Amino acid sequence: MTTTGDVRAPSAGTTPGGPRARRRSSGVGRVSAPVALLWLAPAIALIVGVVFFPAVMLFRASRSEYSITGLYKGSAGWDNYAKVLSYPDLPVVLKNTVVWVVAVVAITIVLSLALAQLLVKDFPGRRFVRWAVIVPWAASLVITSQLFVLLYDSNYGLINHVLMKLHLISTPISFLGDDRFTMASMVVVGVFVSLPFTIFVFIAGLNAIPDDVMEAAEVDGASPWQRWRQITFPLLRPAMLIATVLNTIYVFNSFPIIYTLNDRNPGFGHDTLITFMYKLAFKSQEKDVGMSAATGIINVLVILLVVLVYLRLVNWREETSR
Amino acid sequence: MSTTRRQMMLVGAAATGALVLSACGGGTGAGNAGGDSGDGGDKATSITLMAAEYSKDNTKAFWDAFAKEYKSKYGYTLNVNVVSWDNIDQQSSTMIQNNQPPDILNLNAYASYAKDGLLYGADDVLPSEVKSDILPTFVKYGTYDGTFYGFPDLSSARALFYNTDLFAKAGISAPPTTWAELEADAQKVKATGNTGYAMPLGPEESQGEFSMWLFNNGGDWKADGKWAVNSEKNVETLTFMKKLADAGLTQSNPARTNRADAFDLFKSGKAGMVVGFSPLAGDLDKDGTVKYAVAPFPSNDGSESKTFGVTDYLMAFKKKGNQDAVKAFYELYYSKDQINTFIEKEGFLPVTTSGLEYFQKDDKLKVYLDTLPNARLTPTDDPTWDKIKLAVQQNLGGAMTGDPKAVLDKLQQTAENGG
Repeated sequence: MTTTGDVRAPSAGTTPGGPRARRRSSGVGRVSAPVALLWLAPAIALIVGVVFFPAVMLFRASRSEYSITGLYKGSAGWDNYAKVLSYPDLPVVLKNTVVWVVAVVAITIVLSLALAQLLVKDFPGRRFVRWAVIVPWAASLVITSQLFVLLYDSNYGLINHVLMKLHLISTPISFLGDDRFTMASMVVVGVFVSLPFTIFVFIAGLNAIPDDVMEAAEVDGASPWQRWRQITFPLLRPAMLIATVLNTIYVFNSFPIIYTLNDRNPGFGHDTLITFMYKLAFKSQEKDVGMSAATGIINVLVILLVVLVYLRLVNWREETSR
Repeated sequence: MSTTRRQMMLVGAAATGALVLSACGGGTGAGNAGGDSGDGGDKATSITLMAAEYSKDNTKAFWDAFAKEYKSKYGYTLNVNVVSWDNIDQQSSTMIQNNQPPDILNLNAYASYAKDGLLYGADDVLPSEVKSDILPTFVKYGTYDGTFYGFPDLSSARALFYNTDLFAKAGISAPPTTWAELEADAQKVKATGNTGYAMPLGPEESQGEFSMWLFNNGGDWKADGKWAVNSEKNVETLTFMKKLADAGLTQSNPARTNRADAFDLFKSGKAGMVVGFSPLAGDLDKDGTVKYAVAPFPSNDGSESKTFGVTDYLMAFKKKGNQDAVKAFYELYYSKDQINTFIEKEGFLPVTTSGLEYFQKDDKLKVYLDTLPNARLTPTDDPTWDKIKLAVQQNLGGAMTGDPKAVLDKLQQTAENGG
């Protein structure tokens, strides 16, 4: 890039100051600093108001002591952080968070790859199927979760009804109450709502692969598996990167699914960091806004760290410079 | 050129200003919580009520009509904010954090607010004839540190609901009067392929279910002013409940069943017995599909049944200049027309002596009204209870898969440490 600039420079710079100065004033891509700032002002204001200001408030809350009623009682220093980090249930919550994020993201990516392959093929009714795929995405998460609560119910749930009718089980399974099934049941819902977005990212990625590359490979006698493994998959890597990073963040931050499906279970046995944070503020015996805010800060640091490590592992710079 | 630039600047400045303003709106406010007691300064002409939603159909309608009456009678404006039970804790806590509490808050706890010095006492805002009308039980549980802060808005008392069809099918002629009978009856109902006793020990209200049982075994949460969560009687009670669950006489997973789920089970006609209250009766009558009857909850040894009572509170926050308006609010709310209409519409029970007389006309409520003046409540007058209640909700269910004594020991320890 710099080379091309240098090549052009001598021919343009024969009359020093002339063209370059004219170019600046003609306004193609260059404006003075105040004007630039003016154009950026709404965006900056938005970032300050919506991102920066709440973050500062959250940090302040995390260093404050609050009564159970929510009354501010003074500064707490780093006490809230110490209390959260030494919380007896924290290891369980961390384990749940890892299982939840890894399981949902991994299963979603694998299923989406398969489904996207299917949906880029031309078949009658493709448009209809593509629209159908969007539905779980368009529906509110709370509604979807509530729907699954009804499906999973052990007394009148449809899933148990079908399994019993097929004689696969003799007594109903308490999908959301039995510790062996709770996390798996929640992961199913997590995957269900993550699929639409991921599928469409992959459809876009697949559509971006030029046909001629495929044709060349076909002419060279590559088998379908070889073509997929050595052409499609590598060319999908940017899409894969986006899907993984965004899904990781969404799934990590997912509140409604776990909160709704885990509603009846006491304690923190199936909570992730996000619902743990909420329960600390409003449901647990601590009922402490300060501790909850400290957890919020910790959550942001955790997700940042995870994403950075992931980008490092997949050679982010290399991927994006392609 | 210069005009357009100026225009652009204006637009930019306006956008920035709007954003900054909207950001501030949620954050810092200039309220006055816990400050001076309201005399002097500007008189408030409007006050805010944050009310809990007891029912979709009636709560909002009642408070809107109330606000109209309040305005025409006293000239103050009442801003009504009806919030669902799921959100009210969160919203009130946020408002207090931001120093903008409502003037009147309707909630199921008050002692922590009184402890934080945020509330008006009865002497400040409650007309004396109202105070003498409120049932002594509720005055007792509404009093923190010698001052009456927790003014009850309505009450409920629990009783045993049983499905008469299932009882007939199982060959049971009368409701149980001892725990042994309850166990035997549950066994017989189970034999018909249904749930004997629906036991909700999930986080929604496990302290309610457990209270009903422990009061009827001579136990209590506190004894002689000290916490007694792990008393011998209470351990015995929880062990008995676990025994019922282990024998399969309850629905599967009582520790993960919320009260609403247990009610749904009973409403579907699949459960023989459940501890219910008058709104459940209202629902059952409306559906009309389940035949049921109501009886006092049996005690362990057959002695007289004690009922578990619940009351919610209408508490008043000290804010500059709002004292007169708040006083007028209580005067109107506790007038017979208002409070009895509200309680009747919502299907709950009265909190006043005059209300008790008014509701005598309803035969269906007799079983509750007779027990109401002697109802036992959870120790809502102790701020520590506000935390113990949450600890019980989250941990009591653990006894169903673990050791009841260990669970209660831990709760006792939490209580002794002040929550």
